[in-house]
Amino acid sequence: MKKLIPLAACALISTGLWAQTTPAKSGNAADSLLNSMNADTKAEPVIATFKSTRLILGATTETVKKNNLNFLVIHRFGDIGGSQGGGKTFFGLDNSSDIYIGFEYGVSDNLDIDFGRSKFAQQIDLGLKYAMVHQTSDDATPFAVTLLGKAGVKAYEANNGEFPTFADRFAYVAQAIIARKFSSNFSLQVTPTFVRDNSPFPFLAGNERSFFAMGIAGRLKVTKRMGIVVDYAHPFSSFRSNANGDNAFYDPLGIGIEIETGGHVFTIVFSNAKAISETSYLSASQSDWGKGQFRLGFTISRMFSFNKKDKKAY
Amino acid sequence: MKYIGLILLAWLSIKNQAGQDLYACKNAKISLFSTAPLEDISAVSNSGTSVYNPATGDLAFSVAIRSFQFPKSLMQEHFNENYMESDKYPRASFKGKIQEAIDITKNGSYPVNVAGELDVHGVKQTRTIPGTVVVNNGTVSMSAEFMVKCVDHKIDIPTLVFKHIAETIKMNVSATYMAVKSN
Repeated sequence: MKKLIPLAACALISTGLWAQTTPAKSGNAADSLLNSMNADTKAEPVIATFKSTRLILGATTETVKKNNLNFLVIHRFGDIGGSQGGGKTFFGLDNSSDIYIGFEYGVSDNLDIDFGRSKFAQQIDLGLKYAMVHQTSDDATPFAVTLLGKAGVKAYEANNGEFPTFADRFAYVAQAIIARKFSSNFSLQVTPTFVRDNSPFPFLAGNERSFFAMGIAGRLKVTKRMGIVVDYAHPFSSFRSNANGDNAFYDPLGIGIEIETGGHVFTIVFSNAKAISETSYLSASQSDWGKGQFRLGFTISRMFSFNKKDKKAY
Repeated sequence: MKYIGLILLAWLSIKNQAGQDLYACKNAKISLFSTAPLEDISAVSNSGTSVYNPATGDLAFSVAIRSFQFPKSLMQEHFNENYMESDKYPRASFKGKIQEAIDITKNGSYPVNVAGELDVHGVKQTRTIPGTVVVNNGTVSMSAEFMVKCVDHKIDIPTLVFKHIAETIKMNVSATYMAVKSN
């Protein structure tokens, strides 16, 4: 008996010590194991910086995902005020400055092919859009970069010798769209742009064929599905800056609201730019907000999914 | 003396049992189904994590909202952006206790009830979820099917899309566990 007491004490102490050094296999150990298993989850790319591939004037960093088709109908009515507006045109609703029908198809999650046709100059655009850099949730990459290149051909019948050669019908635009989603409610993007228009409209002597432009656009969500959007661009073109009188140019500026309803995104805007295609609104915006030369416009964006696994999986 | 020996033995054996291995799963399959008049929606994540402590019956699950894969990428975006707000609430989890005693040394299928807290969209709900534990030659696997009401977790479904999204989402969970050796 007496021999056993120190033995028992030893056993008690040792097992007690063992119990202390080894983490108790209770909820705490399980918690820390679960936490350690979840800790190695890597940073995710930030999604839904914008709800649609277009904001008002320009493109956003969003691309159409693989095997999805985005169908776009963009409309700009006539001047609300000024000499073309007022009651006689029912504040521009009787006129259409531009109508754009577009298709954007996702070749991969980061690359889409864009096709569109405008009423303005009857221009047909074909482009590629590539999401090169994604913003990440840990801010290792603080912003997203998407490259956009488009070539357009003005298809209308030229009766006054506007296009001496076929090449004169072409216009090109190259953009690097840089966006950051600051919070789930606020996203901002800047868009350095290069425009090359072989026959810039209006056809005036000295009109620059090539110029740089900078776009800035943002979205502030008011609710989960509705937001206020603003889109502005400035072409760095001395010809456009120096033109005055009837030929004066004004920087395109659009303000509107964006509403998402499942597969559709609707944008209802006011904009002074008449044209919808990038080359046209950057080179040919001659409407002045101050003179009432702004218009109502809307964009309907509808996403279709053609993923095969849609039907069979799950 | 005999009593001391017995007590000691009993205590040691309790210690031993408490020191049993934890069971962990890193690829729990968690899927969701929504059946609404206009659209059936389903999504699956194969990267749920779970820890099971057979000694205490403690059971925990966790899954990253972003890991759910939808057949339609737009649905996936809306799921994260509009409904689950995965930037604010990146994970859903469940922490509970299996109510029945399970002998994981014996093969068999055990119907169980797990009582605990379900944390979805940052809202915790006390739930008792029925499931099945299957023990097969030392392998432990679990499965459960249960319903989650969107309104219980403050997940808003706007009236515009209520014909597309069910108010109650069916969840399926299945996990196969590996013993995690203690040092």
